[in-house]
Amino acid sequence: MKTTKEKDVQHQPVIGLPNALLYSRYGNLWKCFFTVLGVKVIVSEPTNKEILHLGTEKTIDESCLSAKIFSGHVQSLIGACDYILIPRISNWGRLRNMCTRFEALYDLTCSTFRSTGQKFLSYNIDVSKKITEEKAFLSMGQELGFPQKAVKEAYKKAKKEDDLLWKFKLKSQERLYQSDGLKISLAGHSYLLEDAYFGRPISNYLTELGAIPIRADITDRNEALKHSLKISPTLKWELNREIVGSIQIHRDKVDGIILVSAFPCGPDSMVNEIISRNFQELPVLTLILDAQNGTAGIETRLESFVDILKFKKGIL
Amino acid sequence: MNQNKKKVAFPIFSHYNLCIKYFIEKALDAEYIMQPPMTNRTLDIGSRYSPDSVCTPFKSTLGSMIDALEAGADTLIMTLGLCRLGYYGELQEKILRDLEYSFDYINLSEYSTGNPKDYLKALRRIGPKASTAKIARVATETLKMMSYLDEIESEYYKNCGFEIHHGDYKAAWKKFLISMETADSLRDIEDAYKTARKEFSAIPVNKPETTLRVGVIGEYFTSVDAFSNLNLEQKLADMGIEVHRWMSVTNRNLHYHGKTLSIEINDYCAYEMGPTSTANIWCAKHYASLGFDGIIHAKSAGCTPEIDIMPVLQNISYDYKIPILYLTYDSQTSDTGLDTRLEAFYDMIYMRKKAV
Repeated sequence: MKTTKEKDVQHQPVIGLPNALLYSRYGNLWKCFFTVLGVKVIVSEPTNKEILHLGTEKTIDESCLSAKIFSGHVQSLIGACDYILIPRISNWGRLRNMCTRFEALYDLTCSTFRSTGQKFLSYNIDVSKKITEEKAFLSMGQELGFPQKAVKEAYKKAKKEDDLLWKFKLKSQERLYQSDGLKISLAGHSYLLEDAYFGRPISNYLTELGAIPIRADITDRNEALKHSLKISPTLKWELNREIVGSIQIHRDKVDGIILVSAFPCGPDSMVNEIISRNFQELPVLTLILDAQNGTAGIETRLESFVDILKFKKGIL
Repeated sequence: MNQNKKKVAFPIFSHYNLCIKYFIEKALDAEYIMQPPMTNRTLDIGSRYSPDSVCTPFKSTLGSMIDALEAGADTLIMTLGLCRLGYYGELQEKILRDLEYSFDYINLSEYSTGNPKDYLKALRRIGPKASTAKIARVATETLKMMSYLDEIESEYYKNCGFEIHHGDYKAAWKKFLISMETADSLRDIEDAYKTARKEFSAIPVNKPETTLRVGVIGEYFTSVDAFSNLNLEQKLADMGIEVHRWMSVTNRNLHYHGKTLSIEINDYCAYEMGPTSTANIWCAKHYASLGFDGIIHAKSAGCTPEIDIMPVLQNISYDYKIPILYLTYDSQTSDTGLDTRLEAFYDMIYMRKKAV
């Protein structure tokens, strides 16, 4: 790893966090962890046209939209910080894998930006090889030159705060499921649904149309993992299992499902098929997002889907 | 013939079905159904019932399963895998059941629990009476057969472009495949191998010192299976190129030393980037440092792990000044399109060699 052990902590490093991919899942954890250690953190701007453009130029054209967005964020951070954080996450154990892109992300980004001289920081989670998240954070903190004890405390504190925020999110999510109105489950990866340029406009537009979009990825993760096995016993991608499990738990509480995927998402290409074949009582709309600009096409499809649901419910 | 014997099949994957056939029949005392080789019809049917943006091997193996069911198989086996491949089994079964085929299905992903003994359970579903000792003995013989097949195939593509009498190599290779298909014992396997080696070494060749050498790397299924890569290696050999390919089940699964390989490439990547990434990056660096004239990277459309190593390959290409041709195959890829690209690649590496 390209880091140095600085004993004199005169110049505290500045760490850049790309506001894409796992930032939606671990952003709070990272920010809190580094803040407790006294390290300055900067976050790239929410995705915009410029970032998308930068990313598309830097990425192999067959990569998924989310990877392109990610590269754009990395590019926008280059030169603005000492390290850019890119975790490498392989799995949390059997049937709890990440898409292989998250396994490759660190090396792939380092290779793409090799000529810039930018330094990258990483931590590696591979539970099947007994490397847990805590161990990963410990060795990352020590590489930055912090004593083990301080790192451990920072990790614990960050974890606690992150849990608290998550529980709060879950509570308001439950209230949405209890509310009256046309409820639509938005099933997609957090990084896509939370993206300011791609995912957010979809849920905003649904709200404008009078529907209540409810994100499937915000759910009690352990419960969802258990329920996903009822639908698909060999499904092995953690993030997809959470989404499938969440849909299964709430299948009686929503009027329809919108599957939102990045083009061409590997896991989604198969899991969307499993979802459509297993939840046949619910209307399903599949939206595949790519690097094309323009929202008119998507709006038309959302409008007609909401109309169908309203008609079915007798409220059109 | 025993009516209760299961009729087992596995999707076509290069020449490996010969090994599976040997194992199923000898160790488990079941009948093996060899469906016809894959054709465009196989891929058409597979694509029709597959999700659009799934990788191509999903479509061809699904088509090949349908071929097998039509040929009379009543039990299908599907493998496990570390990428999307590990999920093929379940979704393909769902699709086939929704199409109302009836069959027994053995999805090895369900048995990959970390405990190797669980695979025995899967095998016992095919051959309930098979003894563990017999399974172990036949497994050793099968692995031998497989490594002979891989070794002879590798020899074939290295040399068949330089034979003096056109067709000598192909005839010997075909004969070898038939004797492997009909092999009844370890002795037959050994004999077939020895004969093939002898015949290969007796074929007169004319290989000049300036021979162009090209290494083929890429996604496991597409780079290995000749139908899936539109006979890439044969096409290259026919142009008079010495074709090297490391990727095979023997090298990737039987004699694989991932740790050693990853140390040798730690200047290019810190972690394992995907199931075949370490091997492919190592191969590219290896071929480059041997002074090969070019590398061809073959993958199916949308293969995530192979797309992800492309930035690394680009760096290797830059550092060693070695040209890399990136080929992406999907169910639409045409023979002519491939020919054009290969011809252009050939011209380029030929001119580079002359200039140097």
